[in-house]
Amino acid sequence: MTKMADNSASVEIVEGCRLPVLRKNQENEDEWPLAEILSVKEVSARKLYYVHYIDFNKRLDEWVTSDRLDMKKLQFPKKEAKTPTKNGLPGSRPSSPEREVKRKVEPVPLAPQVSPVTPVPSLPSSAEASQAAVYPAARETSTFKSREDHEQLTSLTTQNGTARRLIPSQPGRKRKANCGGTDEDSQDSSDGIPSAPRMTGSLVSDRSHDDIVTRMKNIECIELGRHRLKPWYFSPYPQELTALPILYLCEFCLKYLKSLKCLQRHLTKCNLRHPPGNEIYRKGTISFFEIDGRKNKTYSQNLCLIAKCFLDHKTLYYDTDPFLFYVMTEYDPKGFHIVGYFSKEKESTEDYNVACILTLPPYQRRGYGKLLIEFSYELSKVEGKTGTPEKPLSDLGLLSYRSYWSQTILEILMGLKPDNGERPQITINEISEITSVKKEDVISTLQYLNLINYYKGQYILTLSEDIVDGHERAMHKRHLRIDPKCLHFTPKDWSKRGKW
Amino acid sequence: MSKLSFRARALDAARPLPVYRRAELPQLTDCGFISRAVPQMPSGMDKDEELEHHLQRAMSAQQVFRERKENMVIPVPEAESNSTYYDRLYKGQVKVPKQLIHVQPLSLDLEQPDYDMDSEDETLLNRLNRKMDMKPLQFEIMVDRLEKASTHQEVSLAEAKRLLNEDDYLLKSVYDYWLRKRRNRCLIFQVKQENRDGSTNHHAYVAFRRRTEKMTTRKNRKNDEASYEKMLRLRREFSRTVTILEMIKKREKSKRELLHLTLEVVEKRYQLSDFNGDVLKTVALPLEEKAVYCAPVNVNNSSRHKTNVKAKMQKNQVSMREELTFDPTRPKNRCTKWERLFPPQRFPGRLPRAESIYRADVNQYDFHSSGEDEGNSTMVAQTPPTSDDENYPDGVFIFRRTDGCLYLSPRWDGGHVDIQPLHERHFLTKLSLSPDWMGLSRRRTGRGGRILLDRASCSLDSLLNQLDTYPGSWTRSRTVYPNEPVDLDQKLLMNSSSIPSLSQALKNIQTLRRCCFRPRPIQNQRITDSRTAGPSVEDRRFLDTPGSAGGITEEQYYSHQQQLMKMKKQQLEQLQYNEAMSRATAPLDHQRNQSHRSPESTSRTLDSVSAHFAASAVVSTSPSAQDALRPPKTTGVPNCPGASRSSYSTSSSVSGVGLLSIPKQQSQVGAVYPTHHHNIRPSAPPPSALKLATLAAKVIPVSGLPRDIDEPDRQLNGLSENTQPMEVT
Repeated sequence: MTKMADNSASVEIVEGCRLPVLRKNQENEDEWPLAEILSVKEVSARKLYYVHYIDFNKRLDEWVTSDRLDMKKLQFPKKEAKTPTKNGLPGSRPSSPEREVKRKVEPVPLAPQVSPVTPVPSLPSSAEASQAAVYPAARETSTFKSREDHEQLTSLTTQNGTARRLIPSQPGRKRKANCGGTDEDSQDSSDGIPSAPRMTGSLVSDRSHDDIVTRMKNIECIELGRHRLKPWYFSPYPQELTALPILYLCEFCLKYLKSLKCLQRHLTKCNLRHPPGNEIYRKGTISFFEIDGRKNKTYSQNLCLIAKCFLDHKTLYYDTDPFLFYVMTEYDPKGFHIVGYFSKEKESTEDYNVACILTLPPYQRRGYGKLLIEFSYELSKVEGKTGTPEKPLSDLGLLSYRSYWSQTILEILMGLKPDNGERPQITINEISEITSVKKEDVISTLQYLNLINYYKGQYILTLSEDIVDGHERAMHKRHLRIDPKCLHFTPKDWSKRGKW
Repeated sequence: MSKLSFRARALDAARPLPVYRRAELPQLTDCGFISRAVPQMPSGMDKDEELEHHLQRAMSAQQVFRERKENMVIPVPEAESNSTYYDRLYKGQVKVPKQLIHVQPLSLDLEQPDYDMDSEDETLLNRLNRKMDMKPLQFEIMVDRLEKASTHQEVSLAEAKRLLNEDDYLLKSVYDYWLRKRRNRCLIFQVKQENRDGSTNHHAYVAFRRRTEKMTTRKNRKNDEASYEKMLRLRREFSRTVTILEMIKKREKSKRELLHLTLEVVEKRYQLSDFNGDVLKTVALPLEEKAVYCAPVNVNNSSRHKTNVKAKMQKNQVSMREELTFDPTRPKNRCTKWERLFPPQRFPGRLPRAESIYRADVNQYDFHSSGEDEGNSTMVAQTPPTSDDENYPDGVFIFRRTDGCLYLSPRWDGGHVDIQPLHERHFLTKLSLSPDWMGLSRRRTGRGGRILLDRASCSLDSLLNQLDTYPGSWTRSRTVYPNEPVDLDQKLLMNSSSIPSLSQALKNIQTLRRCCFRPRPIQNQRITDSRTAGPSVEDRRFLDTPGSAGGITEEQYYSHQQQLMKMKKQQLEQLQYNEAMSRATAPLDHQRNQSHRSPESTSRTLDSVSAHFAASAVVSTSPSAQDALRPPKTTGVPNCPGASRSSYSTSSSVSGVGLLSIPKQQSQVGAVYPTHHHNIRPSAPPPSALKLATLAAKVIPVSGLPRDIDEPDRQLNGLSENTQPMEVT
C-alpha cells in the first residue's frame, strides 16, 4: 500500500493471475507451462506462490518461489462485469492455514485494472519482478473473472479504496455444468444459496462450496508405515495438523498423529496388524478386508482422509455409513499392509459397484489398481449384477479402467472359438454378463479399441494385429490376478435392513 | 463418400456381433470405418480434466503403442520410502492365521486412551517420575479424560478431581500442565465436526457430516414412508396392548383379592364353626345392600370403574369382543365432543329424578374386593370424564348417579333371571315436556343422532294414563304442539309463552322434527289380528301430513298396512313357533335373536302391530310398575333383576318388518330405525324375515317416492355399527 503512494505501485501477483511457471517435466527438461496463482504466502521474508499448471492435473500444483515465475507474461485476472457476490463466506477464500490470521487484518492488494482485456505488457524481468511498479493505483470496485470458467473471483472494494478480499463467488455451478452426465443439479438450487450435496455416492457432485481452500494441498507429507507420501490434493485432516512438515499415520488403524513420538506411543496401544474388518479374500500375500462404514466409523473415516489426499473428486461431506470399504493388503511378517482400497455403496441406485478406488502411490504402476478393479467386478459377479465405477473418473482412474476393460473384453473375444465352422460371435449383453462390466462400459471400450466396424450391413468386431499383439504383451505382464476361488463373500441385501 | 451419408443403425446390445480378425477382412480397409456408427460414449471424466496434457498424451501413447510407455505415464508427486526406523517403530511379527481373519465386532473397542503422549509430555513425565512412578499410559488416560470432559471450556480442578482418581499432587501437576498446554485448543485432534446451526455447511475442514435424512433414492423413499406408517401403527398397537395388560393386571389383582377374602371368610367361618353356612347367610345380605348404597359410582366419570366393569363382564362370560375392540386412543376426543354437545345435565332422554339401579353397579360387587371398592368410591368425584363409547355407547346418556338419590336394590322376582339385554328393555319414562307422557319406553339413537324413544305398551298403561298430566296425549295419534320448546333447557329456563318470535320460529321448525309414536295399548290376549287402524296410525310423524308426504294419505297407508299385516300374520305365527322351538336350545348370549318370554308374557301373544312397528314401539310388558326408569345400557349383563321382561318376537324379523312397515318415512324422519345400536351384532336376519321384507316392499305402493328395496339391507348393516353419532334435533 505504501508503494501506491508514490504512484509506482509494484506489480502484485495476486490470486487469479496467470503466468508461465518453470517446471521440470518427466524428462527433466525445463518447461514453462502457463499457471494460475492460487495463493501467495510469505515464508521468512520470501514470497511463495501456489500455482496450478493449467491443463495439468491439480496434483502437480505446488508452491514455487518467485524466480520460477515468468513475470513478463503475467496476465491479470479478467474483469467480469456482472458477478454478484453471493455467499462470500470468510472461510472460503484462498489462504493457507498459516496466513489465515494475518489475512484478516491485512487487505489483499488488488490488481489494478486499466484495461481488463488488454494483455499485460512485459515487465522488467528480474528475480524481484513482483515488486516492479507499473500500474497506477487506480483502484475501484472491480471484479475479476479468471480465464478458467470454474473460478470466478470477485472483490469488493470499500469506499476508501481498500480492497477487502477476494471472494470466490459460486464457482460451483458453472463448473458443475461442465461435469459429466452423472451429475445431478437438482440439489443445487439456483438461488445461489449453496445446498448440501446429494447424499448418495462418494464423489463430488456439488461444487458450490468448492472454495480455494479445497483446491490446494494442505498436507505436506504423510508417513505411513515404511512410506512417505506426498499428498496430491486437499484433505480435511484436523486443521491443527496441516502445518506439520510430516503427518504420521498408524499403518494399520490409519490414525493420524502429529509426531513420531505420538506414533510410537500410539503403537504401544494399537494392536491392529491388519485392517479392522473381515478378511474375505486371500491368495498369496494379497488379502482383502471388508469394513462396514457404519460399524467401524473411525477406521473408515481415517481411510477416507488419507484417500482424499489422492482423490480429487472424493467428497467427505457426509459420514461413511452407507459404504463398505474393501481394503487390499499385502502381507509381510510385520502385518497386512494397506496397498489400496475401494469403497462401495451398500445400495447403489445407479449400478455403481465402486465409489472411490485408490492404489496408494507407493504401490502404483504395479498392477494393484487393476487387481482392485478386478476384485470389484468379482464382487459384482457374486452379486449377479453388472456394475460401473461412480463418476467422474480421474485421469488415472479412466486409464486403469479402460485398461482393465480392454483386457477383459479382449480376453473374451480372443478366447472365442469357431463354433463348428461358424464364425464366432457374441453380443454386447453376453460380454456384460460374463464380465459384470456394465453394457455402456463394454460399448465404450469396444469403441475406444476401435473394434466395432460396419460390414456388409451389420456390425462386426474386428481384431487388428496390433490390438492382439498389444493385448498379449499386456497380459504377459499382468501377473496379479484375482482368483475367484479364494473369495469368500456373501452379499448382503442392504435394502432389507433398516439402515445400512 | 456416400457411406458416411447414411446413418448406420444403432448398436444393438442383444445382437450377435461376429468377430473377425483384421487379416480375414482385407476389404475392410476399403470400406473404411463408419466412425459415427455408434454414438460416442462419454469417458466418465470431468470434462476439464479430460483435456489435461498428461492424460491426453498417455491416451494417445496407449492408442499408438498398445502398451504403457514409461515416459508416457501421468506424472504424480514422488513418494519416498523410509524404512530406517520402521522396524523399531512397528515391533514384533505377525503370523498369518490359517483361516481368514474374522473380526469380532466388540473386540475393536478396546478402552485405550485416544491421547498419545508427545515428547513434551515425556519431559513432564520424566520430571514427575523423579518423585513418583507414573506410567505413560496413566498419563495418557488422565489427559484423555480431561480432554473428553472439556468441550469448550476446560474442566475445573475440582471437576478434574472427581474425574480422576489420583493422588492430589499428581493430579495437580498433570492438571496444571494440561491446562497450560491446552490453551483452549483440543489436544486430541479431531476432524472438524459440523455445527448444528448449519454454519459449517461449506466449511472445507468439516467432514463426515451426519446424514440428516435417509438416503433419498427413489426406491427407498417409498419404503421409508411405509415403514414409518408401520411404526406408527406398531406404536399404537403397543400402547393398546399396554392398556389391555394393565386391565388384566387389575383383574388378576382383584381375583387374587377375592381369593384372599374368600379364604379369610372360610377361615373365619371355620373359627366360628359355621359349617352349615348360617352365619354367612345372616351376614351376606346386609353386606350386599350396604355395598350398593355405600359406593355410588359415577360410571361416566370413572375410568377405573369402567375397567372394573369390563373385567367383571369378562368374568361373567360375556363376550370377549367388547374387551378386544376397546380402543384406548379413541375415547378422549369423542368424549369431549360428547361433552360439548351434551353437557351432562342437558340431554333430553334422561329424566332428572328417576330412580334406578344400574345393573353394572350391582354386578360390580359380585365379588367383594374392599380395596377396589374404596378405590372406586374415592375416585368418583374427581376423575375426568373419559367415555369409552364401545362400552358406553350411550355417551352422555349414560347412567349417572345423582347425589341425594336413593337407589333401590333390584327387585328379585322369585329368583327369576331376566336375561333381556338392557338396551332392549323398556323403562318407565316420563316426558317432562309436552306431550307429557308417562309409560314404558326405551331410548335409542336413530340415524343422524336423533334420539328416539320407543314406547311400549304394558298392562299398566291405563294406570299410567291416569297419572299422565296431559291426558289428551295418550290417545291422540298425532299431536302438534306449536309452542313446544325443543330444547329441554329452554323449556326449563324460560316460559314457553314468553319466547321471542325468532326462537319461536326456530322452535316451530324444530318441533316439526320431533316425532312421537304411541304404542298400541296392550291388547287382550290372543287377539293378535283384531287390530284397528288407530294404534298404527300413531306411528307417524307429526310433519307427515298427506301433502308433504308425497301424495300418500294416511288412509292409504294404513290400509296397506293392514293388508300387509294380514299377509304377514301367518308367517309371523310360523316364525314365532320356530322361535319357540329353538328357544330351548339357544345359548344365553344369543338372546338377541331369541325370544324369551316370561311366564306372564307367554300368556299373551305378541302383538303383531308391535312387531310391525318394532322400530318405534316394541311391545314390552313390564310386570313391575316400580321398575326404575333408566336409559338403556349396553353392558350386556345378563342378570338384571330390575329389568322388565318383554315379549319379543325375534328381533330379526321384527327389524325386517318394522323397517318396511314404515316406508319412506325413514328418509324424512330418519329416526325410526330399529337400530339396536349396541354391540351385539345381529346375525343375518332369518330368511323368512327377509322374504317378508321383500314381500312387504312389493306390496306397499309408494307413489311419488321410489322405494328403496335395498333399504333393509342397508339398515341391517347399520345395525352392526356400534356407535352412531348422536344429535338432538
